[in-house]
Order: sequence, then structure tokens, then C-alpha cells
Amino acid sequence: MNDLWTNRLSEYLDGELDSAERAALEAHLATCGACYATLSELRGVVAYAKTLVDSEPATDLWPDIRARLTPGQRPGVSPPGTVRSRRFSFTVPQLLAASIALVLLSSGGAYMALRPGTSKVTPQPAAVRQQGIMTVANVDRGTTDAAIADLQATLTQNESRLDTTTVRIVRQNLAIIDRAIVEARIALQKDPGNAYLNLHLADTMRRKVELLRRVNDIAAQS
Amino acid sequence: MVATLAAAMLVAVASQRQTDTTFAVPAGASLSVNNFGGGITVHAWSENRVKVHGDVGRRGRVEVSLVGNTVVVKTGSREGAPSVIDLDITVPRSMGLTLGGTYADVTVEGVQGPISAETVNGEINVRGGKGIITLHSIQGSVTLADASGRIEVNSVNEAIELSNVTGEIKVETTNGEVTLTGIQSSSVDAGTINGDVVYEGTVTDGGSYSFGSHNGDITVSIPERANVTVTVATANGDIDASFPLPMTSTAGRHRKTFKIGTGSARMELESFQGDIELRRPQEIRERIDEHKRDHHNDNDNDHDSDRDTSFSSHFDAGTWDYAARYAKAYAPKYAKAYAPLYARTYARTYARTYKRAYRDTDTTSH
Repeated sequence: MNDLWTNRLSEYLDGELDSAERAALEAHLATCGACYATLSELRGVVAYAKTLVDSEPATDLWPDIRARLTPGQRPGVSPPGTVRSRRFSFTVPQLLAASIALVLLSSGGAYMALRPGTSKVTPQPAAVRQQGIMTVANVDRGTTDAAIADLQATLTQNESRLDTTTVRIVRQNLAIIDRAIVEARIALQKDPGNAYLNLHLADTMRRKVELLRRVNDIAAQS
Repeated sequence: MVATLAAAMLVAVASQRQTDTTFAVPAGASLSVNNFGGGITVHAWSENRVKVHGDVGRRGRVEVSLVGNTVVVKTGSREGAPSVIDLDITVPRSMGLTLGGTYADVTVEGVQGPISAETVNGEINVRGGKGIITLHSIQGSVTLADASGRIEVNSVNEAIELSNVTGEIKVETTNGEVTLTGIQSSSVDAGTINGDVVYEGTVTDGGSYSFGSHNGDITVSIPERANVTVTVATANGDIDASFPLPMTSTAGRHRKTFKIGTGSARMELESFQGDIELRRPQEIRERIDEHKRDHHNDNDNDHDSDRDTSFSSHFDAGTWDYAARYAKAYAPKYAKAYAPLYARTYARTYARTYKRAYRDTDTTSH
């Protein structure tokens, strides 16, 4: 996978590439299954994100925002033709983290994963975002780790609602996934720029989230 | 309709050990079954009626009602712990099904409507189905055959097998193999952590195919006239094909892309530890047939084909001594490896045996 192209997929999706760039990217897409697959995932995430209902912030954030704006600029009033539609730009790890977040959001596990004090998504300055795939990947995986820890804590609380066989099977399978995660992480330490390993690790973590969520759902229904 | 409702509003509380009821259902009606433990078996017939048969034992009960346009079948116990009840239900062929259980094996035969089945500890075996089909089990294998539509199949601790299935397919397990044969699809996504993945089916122009495993081999069929761009990635395995692969790009030593024909379809093959094989469909079919033959000949059910392993005893004492030492050294290792492998199978067999024994005792001791 070519990071240069991968990081421009969201611009492509938003129609913000010029015709030459678009043609070059489309030529690349014709030969790169990974970018093509990523584009499909990205389309799915954007489509899903658009279906989410905007919620009001708990407090009025506007005074703070206004205070930080450069004096002289008039927020909220854009010159004609400069209004930009809301767009979503992701790197691959961010995209996968978003996928995991959507998994969480689509279930009752979201409450546990996103409740105050856990699984906080720390805003990152632009400089950090530009530091490369591993930096971003580690930050996003930290968030996923927190979500996993939270779901696991919930499962520990709810285990008594499941029979011992199911608990044992689930633990065995979580151990299998954990082993896969460790192996992928070790491989990634040796080869940090490997896009396949990045994606594989993220996908394996997603599977752990999904298994925990599913078992928590079953426990909740028991 | 009133007659239908009256017929359907049944509460079959089992004073006897079996319940058996048949009633007409409105066109387009669906079926919802919730059975905590036992079996749910659904057959199809050409009549516009539903027949519910249940082996309920002494304490069990089956409730049948019509809620809106849905026939609802629930099981329960009249006292104490939940009862183990085997349900056998016959429905109109096109009826949609929602089947749920905790310790329930689910079997569906010949239904041509949407099917949703979910169990925690039990197998799911479905032949037929049309439309949205979702089959989920935690501890139990899942098989689906002769179905079409939008298919989603999950297990956690067992294998998944799909055969002669048409449509959009998404399959995932954690600790089990995934075997897809006779597939006609332009969209397949199949993965496992601990097991092999086998795909034998169409590769349609413009289609999207993704197969992944962490600890297993990936084997896919590429028809001779396929137009597909195949991206292959493995950390520790090998890549092998039984035909020439024109490589178009490589990203590091772990990821390679091959363009076959016009490259119209996209196929991702990824295994961390395992090998990746691209074969012709006939090769995979022959391999699967051979595997089935071996399994069929496995008379002692030890999952290992019974070959002639007898040998004459003209070995000298040194050989016997070596064999004895070898056995002593490796027995614990193999025992450790085989125990988790076969424990599940034997546990299930014994569970069924004792379930019947328990039920018989339960019904005869009162």
C-alpha cells in the first residue's frame, strides 16, 4: 500500500483532487487492491458517519472558540464561495479506529466504552497527525486498548450471568486473539512501516472488540 | 382471519410429554422461536399452515401465539430450572424465520425465506434460505447450504462451512476453519484467527473478495478466465500458485499484487502465519472430495483417516527400545495437543447422551 495515495483517499472521495491527481489516483487504484479496499471502507465510514444524528454539546463551546480566533476575523460569516462542506479526512489507522468506534457505537457496549472517564479520544494537533503512520496508529490503538479494557471489565462483572462453559470458551478465544495481537505487535516493532501488519493488527483488535461486545450483549440478555 | 387467530392463539401447556398443534397462518406470516435448551428443527412444506411439535418432558411447556403477523413459539418450564425441549416445526416454504436459543442446536431444512438464527452453545445447520440470512453461534459449528441472498455467518469457537450459496457473503470465526465451496458471489469477506480458509467459487468482474487468517492457510480458486487483481500478504508464510502469476507490484517482502486478465475484480488474501495458495477450482474440489473420503473412512471418529498402520513384529530390541523412548517423550506433548482438539467433540457427544438420559430419568421418575 502506498501511504501517499492512502492519505489522499478522503480528498478523492470529497472531489477535492484536480483532474491530473484524480487520474493518477484512479490509475493507482486499478493496481492496488489495498487502496481500493481502503477506499471502500472509507466510503462506508463516511456514509455511516453521515447517518449519525448530531448531538448538542453539553456546554456552549462558542465563547471559547471565539476567544481563540484571531482578532479581526469575524467567525460565522464567510465570504461568498468560501463555505466548505463538512468533510472527513482519515489516515488508515484513524480509519480503522473509526471503524472500531462505529462497532462500539452500534451497540449497547458503546455506553460502557464511552462513559465518562474512560476511552477518551484526545484531540491531536496537526503536527502530531503529520508524524507518520506509526505515531497516529499508536495513539489510536491506545484508545482502542482503553475501549477493550472497559469492555473486558464489563465482561468480568457480567461473567456470573453466563454459564461456566461459555465463560471458558470466551476466555480461550480472547486468549487466541490476544496471542495474535501480541504476534502482530512484535512483527510490527521489527517492521514499523509495514502497511499489512498495521492493518492486520487493527483488524485483530477490532475482532476482539466485537467478541467482547457480543458476549456482553449475551450476558445482558441472560 | 378470526379463525386463524383463534387457531393460533394456542397455549400448549404440556400435561403430557409431547405437544402437537397445527394451525393456519396468514399469508406473509413469519415465525419467531425462542428455546432456551434442546433443539429447534424447522422443515418446510407447501401448505399454508404451521405445525409445532415439542418433546417437553414432565416440566416443560410450549407456548404458541400470533403477535401481529408473527407466529411466536416460546418454551419454558413450569417449575425450577429451564427445561430441555426439542421443537420440530413445519412451516410454509417462504416463511421468514427468527430462531434463538442458548443451549440449542438449530436445524432448518428447505425453507426459502429470510432466516435469522442465534445460539450460544449449539450447532446451526441450515439448508435453504433466501434474502437476509444471519447465523450466529458462539460454541458450535455453522453450516449453510443451497441459500441465496445477503449472508452473514459467525461462530467463535467452531468451523463455518458454506456450500452452494449465492449472494453477498460475510463470514467470521475466531477458532475454526472457514470452508466456502460452490459459491456464486461478487462480494465475499471471510476470516478467522485460528484456522484455514478455503474458497471455491466464482470471481466476478468488478467483484470484491477478502480472505484472512492469522494462524491458518488461505486457499482460493481462481477460474481460468478470471479478471482479478490479487493482493497477497503474509508475514511468515509462503505464496504458491498452480499457474503463472503476473506480478504487477510489490510493497516490501510481505505484500505482492498480481494482475490476472483485466484485473477487474479485487481479491485480498492475508495470512500472518500461514501459506497462501491459488489453485484452479477443480484442484480444490478434488482436494475437498479427498478430505471428505478420508473423513468418511474415519470409522473410529478420531478425525484421522484409518489407514493400514499394522506392522509386523520383526523389529529388533533396539528398535522397540527406541519406539518406547520416543512414545514416552512425545506422549505428553501429543496428549496436550489432542486434548483441546477432541475435548469439544467428545463433550458435545456426551452432553447429548446425558441430556437424553437426564430427560428420560426426569420423565420416568415421577
